[in-house]
Amino acid sequence: MSRWLEKVFKFLCSLKLAVIVILLLAAVSAVGTILEARYDAEYAQKLVYQSPYMYGVMILLCINLIAVMVDRWPWKKHQIGFVMAHVGIILTLLGALITQKLGVDGTMSFSVGESRQRVTVKERDLVVYGSLDGNQVRPILQMPTDFLRHRPSEKHPTVVQFGQDKIEIVEYVHLAFREERLEPSDRVADGPAVRFQLKNGMVNMTQWLHREKIKPFEALNLGPASIVLSDGSYKPKAGVNEVILSPSRHPGELRYAVYDRNNLLKTRGVVKESEGFQLGWMGLEMHILRFLPKAFQKVTYTRAESSSPLAHSAIRFRFRGAEYWLGIGSLLRLYTEDKMFVVAFVFRQLDLGFPLTLKKFEIGHYQGTERASSYQSVVEKPDHQEVLVSMNEPLKLNGFTFYQASFEKDEQGKPVASVLSVNYDPGRWIKYLGSLMIVFGSIWLFYFKKMFLKKTKRPSGG
Amino acid sequence: MAAVFFCVGFGGGARAEEAWLHELKTLPVQDAGRVKPFDTFAREALQLVYGKRTYKKSSAVEVVFTWILVGDHWGDIPFVEVRHAGLKEALSLEKEKKLFTPTELMNNPKLPVVFSELQTKRERQEKLNPYFQAVQRLESQLGTLQILSRGQIPGMQPEAESDKWLAPSDLKSPAKEKFVALVQSFSAYISDKNSETGKDLAQKVTDFKASTMTLAPEKAPSIGKIKLEVTYNDVHPFMWAWIAYLLSAIFFISYAVRKHPWQNSLGWVFLAVGFLLHTAGMATRVYLAGRPPVSNMYETVVWVPWGALVFGFILERVQKSKLVLISSTCIAILCLILTDLAPAVLDPSLQPLEPVLRSTFWLSTHVLVISVSYAAFFLAFALGDLILYYYLRGEEKYRPQIQAGVMSIYRAIQIGVVLLALGIILGGIWADYSWGRFWGWDPKETWALIALLGYLAILHGRLSGWIRQFGLAVCSVLSFSLVIMAWYGVNFVLGAGLHSYGFGAGGVEYVTAFVVLHILYVTYVTTVRYSRMKIKS
Repeated sequence: MSRWLEKVFKFLCSLKLAVIVILLLAAVSAVGTILEARYDAEYAQKLVYQSPYMYGVMILLCINLIAVMVDRWPWKKHQIGFVMAHVGIILTLLGALITQKLGVDGTMSFSVGESRQRVTVKERDLVVYGSLDGNQVRPILQMPTDFLRHRPSEKHPTVVQFGQDKIEIVEYVHLAFREERLEPSDRVADGPAVRFQLKNGMVNMTQWLHREKIKPFEALNLGPASIVLSDGSYKPKAGVNEVILSPSRHPGELRYAVYDRNNLLKTRGVVKESEGFQLGWMGLEMHILRFLPKAFQKVTYTRAESSSPLAHSAIRFRFRGAEYWLGIGSLLRLYTEDKMFVVAFVFRQLDLGFPLTLKKFEIGHYQGTERASSYQSVVEKPDHQEVLVSMNEPLKLNGFTFYQASFEKDEQGKPVASVLSVNYDPGRWIKYLGSLMIVFGSIWLFYFKKMFLKKTKRPSGG
Repeated sequence: MAAVFFCVGFGGGARAEEAWLHELKTLPVQDAGRVKPFDTFAREALQLVYGKRTYKKSSAVEVVFTWILVGDHWGDIPFVEVRHAGLKEALSLEKEKKLFTPTELMNNPKLPVVFSELQTKRERQEKLNPYFQAVQRLESQLGTLQILSRGQIPGMQPEAESDKWLAPSDLKSPAKEKFVALVQSFSAYISDKNSETGKDLAQKVTDFKASTMTLAPEKAPSIGKIKLEVTYNDVHPFMWAWIAYLLSAIFFISYAVRKHPWQNSLGWVFLAVGFLLHTAGMATRVYLAGRPPVSNMYETVVWVPWGALVFGFILERVQKSKLVLISSTCIAILCLILTDLAPAVLDPSLQPLEPVLRSTFWLSTHVLVISVSYAAFFLAFALGDLILYYYLRGEEKYRPQIQAGVMSIYRAIQIGVVLLALGIILGGIWADYSWGRFWGWDPKETWALIALLGYLAILHGRLSGWIRQFGLAVCSVLSFSLVIMAWYGVNFVLGAGLHSYGFGAGGVEYVTAFVVLHILYVTYVTTVRYSRMKIKS
């Protein structure tokens, strides 16, 4: 028995195991980088870098490192480098583990003037809100998800039960593009939609306008004129040209009324699908291309062929026989005869415990170009002091560190929000200490040992 | 007809007649986020459109200046380079041709479709494969020609109020009048090329140059810096450096065969000359860009052989083996020739940095240290190649060379491992300091780690007795593939999407061939050695 144990120990502290473990680590990491290029960082993290295989290799590495140090006990002077480098590796891995388990790594995005107290982290939750009376909505379920590791399928759906009702998640797509279109429906809870064309010698545009049942009107401001889809209660406003479309008593018919800036009625009448009317100014003509008395916005997702910053995760689920798509960061209303639910698939948010306010956001450009050379935020701390956060110059506050990460821009490329990354890392100093030991240990190992050996005995050949 | 006009017009000419070109070279212009001499701008534009830095016998300055003044005349001259076979097919262009006229490209009926496909890819922010990279290049080639011929780039006249310099079409007085005079003088010169019109043109260029800075004299760049950049462009120090290295290698090798002391001395002289030019070239770049010389692929391919040479000098002193020096000289020749041959892949232009890299301290320490470690591994690799050759020639006969060489490989790998570990950790600290994460499994950092692990496995394998002299030579050659992946592959293979290699852009096929050839070489030497040992026993 003891001889068997001895054999196991000899293997655990052997250089052969070391070589095997090192090569395994390299191989697993290489697979990870390929998956990262194919999909994204999250995918590689979940399925490779934080997978049981990786943990297994790491544990084997630590056992090997510890065993070899135990085996060489008591340590001699010339082994200082070897011990230091090996302890350094263990400490660095330990620090990384602490960071991963106890640390916070999130982002915070706000526009100028806004205050934020919450940090968005990578974990994703499925949240269900319910309403019995149709008015007050309160959360009834919050479920952490990890669909990358536990993929739902048609055969094995993930079932989320809330009271009498349930949703069955049957598909998870990690990277998908969102597509939306309006479709006719026969549900009482859906409002109307109109697809119209506005045309004159210069302008030719086509747009959808959709009003949700609960809203009295939906307006689309096109600059010189505003198009309003109303339930009949809308009163024209002064200062703007308006085209008001409202339901008629006859199904499939719309009433229209055109008002100018001074609130004077220019023209009115009824119109059907594929009919048109003159607006009475600028030679504009409006055509009703499609009219859906009840419509709902159908959202679908298509799998992205290659990774793209615009692609994001989505789930497909069943609720009372119907199928729905839900993308990350969005929510969906579900109606039954007497109840309304809201299902949200969102990134988890953590409360910082104190607010930060963005006072200013600035972008520096390389001369004569649109190319950013730097960007920086001025934020207000809870004690009303203003501080500058810029690239390579983070802000440290209450244990958290805030870094200028990036910014969000609108279609014209104008910045609309500053993005800070927020970080709390209790493993930092262990990692730093470990790193330091690795560097000094290996320098010692390769250079000083040789000099030491030269002094004490003749170097052996080879 | 226009073609004839220009061939005759720009064919030759005495030097006195080209004085205006020398004047024009040092005109400061604003382009792509920095102020540069017109010479640099012209070379970059010609490189983009035509694929080379000179057009037939005319200099880039001459060609690009005529694009601005008389762009229409270039319409029917085939000088726009399209190389990608797939793109030629998509546009129904002749497969054998490489150069096309702007008119035939602009009027190509399939061009809008191809461009709108690219636009869709862009809107979806997808990675571009080599085909779409080629489309993108064509778009910027035609776009550059168009805005150049409209006089909308480059910026030539700084204003006090705006950051953006005024382009030829928007020039204000007094530069506006001087430019008109310059154009008139130019057409006089073109229709009758003699020393008189040449002189007048040179005078007009000088006048124009003097007038551009009058609105905002405080924005005028340092004349010395502009002149230095022109000199740097003209001298092309890295080309002379590799020629000197090549001569040095030839003398060193002939010394190894014939043992004439003068061969050795000449080898050293050329090595010193090459190294001086190499150093001076890098120093100039650092001065011009105001940052360490490691911000893109081109700069690291110039920097790494410099590091390899420094290690070569040190190890030559310690090990007393000429082998190391020859290996590092070969590396320098290979790398510097590469930078000359493949400007499309290794872009030599000085580009502004991404915001996050604008920390000179971290950029210099972290990237310099990592790339220097690559230099050490490169040295080990070249030594491994040479030693395998000795094994092929006869293990017994060359035992002393092999022993010394393997010792140098071992030292080089040790230096590399320490530096790479240090570089990776410095990178982690920088990332932690500016983004709040020490390690994020980013492909670049992960591949650097994989390379480190590969070399650590070799060192441990040597300790355990699995790897001996021959094994170390073999491993030093094979494991350099990891460094190639970390250094080049992450940017050009992983970065462009996994399905994109084999198409051609980015030189992936050449690098792959390089790696495969070395694997074959190693396999060949191993089998030869193995069969020899079998016969003996």
